[in-house]
Amino acid sequence: MKAGRTASLVLLSVTTTFIVALEACLSFVKPLSAMSETMHLVVIGAVTCAGMSLLLIPAGIALDRSMARLRQYVERTTQDESDSAYYGPRWLQPITQSLLSAIEQFRTRERTLRNQIRDLEIRHRVTEVEQQQIKAVLNSLSDGVIVTDPFNEIVMANETAAEALQFALDGSIHQPIEVVIGDERIRQLISERRDSSNFSDHHVIDHEVAVGEGDARHVKMYDIALSCVENHKKEVGGVVTILHDRTRERELAQRETDFVSKASHELRTPLSSIRAYVEMLVDGEASDEKSRDEFYRIIQAETDRLGRLIDNMLNISRIEAGIVQIDRQQVDMKSLIKRAAETIEPQAREKDMTVLTKLAPVGLTVEGDPDMLYQVILNLLSNAVKYTPESGRVTISADSDNLTRSVLVSVADTGLGIPPDALPRLFEKFYRVENYKRVAKGTGLGLSLCKHIVETVHYGQIGIESKLGMGSRFWFSVPMRYAGVQEAA
Amino acid sequence: MTAKILLVDDEAHILQVLSLKLRNAGFDIVTAVDGEEAYELACQSVPDLIITDFQMPYMTGLELCCALKQNEATAEVPIIMLTARGYALDADDLASCNIKQVLSKPFSPKQIVALVSQQLQGMTHDGGTKGHSEAA
Repeated sequence: MKAGRTASLVLLSVTTTFIVALEACLSFVKPLSAMSETMHLVVIGAVTCAGMSLLLIPAGIALDRSMARLRQYVERTTQDESDSAYYGPRWLQPITQSLLSAIEQFRTRERTLRNQIRDLEIRHRVTEVEQQQIKAVLNSLSDGVIVTDPFNEIVMANETAAEALQFALDGSIHQPIEVVIGDERIRQLISERRDSSNFSDHHVIDHEVAVGEGDARHVKMYDIALSCVENHKKEVGGVVTILHDRTRERELAQRETDFVSKASHELRTPLSSIRAYVEMLVDGEASDEKSRDEFYRIIQAETDRLGRLIDNMLNISRIEAGIVQIDRQQVDMKSLIKRAAETIEPQAREKDMTVLTKLAPVGLTVEGDPDMLYQVILNLLSNAVKYTPESGRVTISADSDNLTRSVLVSVADTGLGIPPDALPRLFEKFYRVENYKRVAKGTGLGLSLCKHIVETVHYGQIGIESKLGMGSRFWFSVPMRYAGVQEAA
Repeated sequence: MTAKILLVDDEAHILQVLSLKLRNAGFDIVTAVDGEEAYELACQSVPDLIITDFQMPYMTGLELCCALKQNEATAEVPIIMLTARGYALDADDLASCNIKQVLSKPFSPKQIVALVSQQLQGMTHDGGTKGHSEAA
């Protein structure tokens, strides 16, 4: 501004001086002095205009150049983003300075915005990855997880939870729990937890959920843990509900309790006989030699029973735990059967029974543990003799099954037969057919052990066919070659 | 008059040894091998006391006790329960079925004689068992 004012003043004084000088010159030129006043003014005006033009044209050109240079400079600076030096007239420098600082400000602002956009993009990508990770983690969990917001709407859930509470995972997000979760107790727990605003402890409760329809309907047992999520304002931002399925655990615990209870019963029974008879002997309650002998005999028999029971229990648990020593070799089933039939012969003769042996005239060799297989054969024969009335008949037969490449052994009797409802439970540990408990003594473990030896140790099969009052046929098959079957199994 | 005791167990050896012990102690003994037989015997001639095993075929000891409790004639007969189970019986069951004592197997025959005498004495002296069972 100051420069402009100075320039105007200079221009004004130059013009005035020029006019005064022109006036002085004109007064000396004769023909001109004789001119009229009007003409005089016209001449002065024309000469002044011409003089001014001579002065202003170069100034205009210079200004135009400066402006072009300034424009080029601004364009260069904007495009290059480089701070090149400015070589323009000094009087234009204030404008360039303010333009430059404006450009710089815009540039800084642009840079900040770009950085912010990049940050947001990165954050968005990270969030996306995190969400995928959370989804993967949730879906790989064996526990059900449901996350709800303060309005009791589902924010997140996994397949396990959807399956447990029978809702469709797709479409459940952002839906209120009243619409998604059918189980009223769980809905109530989530609402209560949200309203409690308790962030410190994790509330765990036992809850049973009925699943399935009709015959498939059953109850599942869950441990439900609920915890509040805190938001940035330290308020309840939602509730995380975790469903831990304990059905299998409880079943196993129940099975173990049942086993211990049954085992305890089976062990205590012979033990109580032994204890009672020993006490009677010690107290001299057996008056004569005959009674004493009978007491000794009973004690011996009950001790044997206890020993057998413990052996069987240990054998079964060793096979179940996979720590049994197996002496695998080529076993001739014919000789095992003959030996077992000879062993059982005296018991059969006592009941006036016949034991028939029918062996196919082919080689019946299997790969297995001879002692264990002998135990199976003897057990089946012993059961047949025990549960068949006097003068009955027991037939043991063996043949090879070329189709399955195995040896099939069956023990048929003319005994009591087994009630249909007892058939599926026959191989359970400690299971004994009610009506037979009085017919003969047993540990309730023999058939369970046979099943373990045949199926777990030899990869064979065991089964029974029976009709009440028409006798029973127990059979088992053992593969001739162990190696191939083991791989297939 | 000798007190009559009904012994119930599906284990023949137990029946045999307890019968001998209690007979030697001067009691009159009747035996049964399961709950059904025991119930019939008890109804025919009401015993002064019953000793029964818990786990038996057809009818468990507890079912026998409940059946006896339902029958007016046998409702007040005190019962001693023998059990080979690994855990305790439910206290409500015991009280509602007139079971005075539960004895875990293996037991001592001497201990049984002592318990039987104690129960029968209690009955003759103050009739306390009757009152107790009704309260239960």
